[in-house]
Amino acid sequence: MKNRIFIIMSFLIVFSMILAACGGQDTGEGDEVSGVPEECAENPDETVCAVIAPGSTIKIGFAGPMTGDYSAFGIDISNAQLLAVQESEPVQGFEFELLVEDTQGSGEGGAAVANLYVSDPDVVAISGHTFSGSTAASIPIYEAAKRPMLSASATRADLTIGNEIFNRIPFTDDIQGTNAGNYLYETLGITKLAVLHDGDAYGKGLAEKVMQVFGLAGGEVVAFEALTPGETDYSAVLTDVEAKGPEAIFFGGYYPEAAVIANNMPVVGLTDVVLFSDDGTFGVSFIELAGDQAEGAYATSALPPSSPGEEAFSALFEGTFGDLPGSLSTFSWHGWDVVNALISAIRQTAVLSDDGNLYVHRDSLVDAVNFLTGFQGLTGVISCTRGECNTAGPTFFIVQNGEWVEATK
Amino acid sequence: MAELEISKPRGRIPTFRVIKIIIGVLFLVFVSWRLFTVLVVEDIYTPATWVRFGISGLVIGGVYSVIAVGYTLVYGILFMINFAHGEVMMLGAFAGYFVFEAFNTIVVDPASELNFLNAYPWLAVLLAFIVGMSVSMVIGVLLEKIAYRPLRGAPRLIPLISAIGASIFLQNAAQLIFGPKRRIYINPDILSRSAGWTLNIGGEEVIVTYTGVFTFVLSILLMIGLWMLVQRTRMGRAMRAVAENKETAALMGINVDGIISRTFAISGALAGAAGVMWGIQNGIIYHYVGFIPGLKAFTAAVLGGIGNIPGAMVGGLFLGVVESVGPAALGIDFQLKDVIAFSILVLVLIFRPSGILGEVLSEEKV
Repeated sequence: MKNRIFIIMSFLIVFSMILAACGGQDTGEGDEVSGVPEECAENPDETVCAVIAPGSTIKIGFAGPMTGDYSAFGIDISNAQLLAVQESEPVQGFEFELLVEDTQGSGEGGAAVANLYVSDPDVVAISGHTFSGSTAASIPIYEAAKRPMLSASATRADLTIGNEIFNRIPFTDDIQGTNAGNYLYETLGITKLAVLHDGDAYGKGLAEKVMQVFGLAGGEVVAFEALTPGETDYSAVLTDVEAKGPEAIFFGGYYPEAAVIANNMPVVGLTDVVLFSDDGTFGVSFIELAGDQAEGAYATSALPPSSPGEEAFSALFEGTFGDLPGSLSTFSWHGWDVVNALISAIRQTAVLSDDGNLYVHRDSLVDAVNFLTGFQGLTGVISCTRGECNTAGPTFFIVQNGEWVEATK
Repeated sequence: MAELEISKPRGRIPTFRVIKIIIGVLFLVFVSWRLFTVLVVEDIYTPATWVRFGISGLVIGGVYSVIAVGYTLVYGILFMINFAHGEVMMLGAFAGYFVFEAFNTIVVDPASELNFLNAYPWLAVLLAFIVGMSVSMVIGVLLEKIAYRPLRGAPRLIPLISAIGASIFLQNAAQLIFGPKRRIYINPDILSRSAGWTLNIGGEEVIVTYTGVFTFVLSILLMIGLWMLVQRTRMGRAMRAVAENKETAALMGINVDGIISRTFAISGALAGAAGVMWGIQNGIIYHYVGFIPGLKAFTAAVLGGIGNIPGAMVGGLFLGVVESVGPAALGIDFQLKDVIAFSILVLVLIFRPSGILGEVLSEEKV
């Protein structure tokens, strides 16, 4: 009995092999399908190459806070990226798809989303994460699974150190802090500065850098204080700052708190004091929330002067979501650039084989993102060196007549 | 009496008393050392600065009080903490926001483009409060019907969990409905947030904003109104009876469920008023805006003695002032203001477990 089953089975196998060979390409010689990249043919394993079947999509995973206190950032960046995916041209007939998962901005949430994405072999690249803490927790997971990361907003200096997969578009906090500190002392001629921050890794790191640079340049830092993020009244801490007589306040943090500071400043007597903030503050939201009090406030930004591409993006964004880019967070443009840069890297790497599958060799894609050069994005030319992709430094903007304009002084 | 004292269990109570005294002495030494350093040695603040700290604290304290009373009312009757109270406040703030937005677009005099908001500012503010309070009142009553009434007989922890769930639900519902964007309250021009009376203190000008005075005065008026309602009206008497003992109150012909519903209605209306006040004073609202004030007001309610209306008032103002003056007076970073507030809560609970104005609880309540 056993022998008979064995014989039938072997006949079936041989027969099916013949069928498979005949059903394949006419030029095919037999069991070898041509066009499969060498690395993938040697290791037919989803951890080495992503094999995307016809009819499936090439997935890019976005991870950021979609609910909770900082949901505006995740929703804004993912919106810009959904647009970028929607506008993208398919590669070899394969459409792109953006997956959106919620990290709630936390490290634990980031690790959970990272584990989810690496379990899906069709996810080839990661956009994000949005916050530095969440990014730091997810890097080891993606590195083990060879998923390249390109973040629109994670700016903590040490993120690009000690791994081979993390890249980002925004300039680091160190570069921004150094530029801001020098600008305050040399260009604006401030001698007494109060430094405030929101206690978060981003805001605090930036504030410390500004304090250090400003002090080394010869200025005096009269106050260095943290405030509790998420509140809508900072008059007490600003009263304390006022008592120390600063000429300018540097705030390291995001626009909601910066707007509250701007609103509270005249009430506590800080009328002639300059408010200077960072790229977390830059954007129309700050002006909307602070109204007239926003006049004369400075912020740094990676945003280039307006270009045809930028105008087209603004029109598209406003047409789809009803608001201009930058109204929820300041990273709408970066989000758009991230997905387009990732798509261009995937386009370079992806190979269509004769069996109709699309092969993406993971190591090659990681390299393609790591050595991305000369990609023209809205935020400037994107060329990655050791994880840092934006070669242009920050630009300084000032609010004049209810709009951000590039600061001339 | 003498016999009673002798029969008291000895041993544990004296040790606790000793610890209490040690903590008290350490606290006093620390506070006086810090006060001496800040006020005498460093002396960085002018009188004007102290007045500014005080104003900032009183204004926010007033709002805390109004929210805290909502916690206290519900606790007094049901002995449960309504953790969704901050979200009820947030929804009231949104309701008031839409009223202001609507009035801002209605133009009454096309020649000067005068809109309704600035033509009849007090009427607009009154309507915003009425709408905000009504919306919050309805939400409060619905919350009780849906989330708490089915759990009336359950152990105390169960409605508490339900309350936390309701709080998360309302936050996320608000995010879905209104979006995650922060919105700015458009005040009538007479209540402009940066305008106010100017005081001259020690040669320095201190601005007392109109919105600040408005918020503070209104919170005091609401408190007095509530006090009258609870102490002087038939309904107030029924509420107190239900708080004392539900079964006996029911036997006396009081509709207990009806009274509980009305308590939630009053508590919700106060939260709505607090929400609109918050919007007028601070100007920025979003779906998460009720959470922190809710927690603070809960602290204030415990601080003043939970279940006690004047206690919530005193607790709120005290907490507001401590948050604003405390870090400055003790020379501590302002980010640690919550540490000061909660340390004081712990101290109050050690020395007066029932709160500053805490009522003497009947055995059943304890």
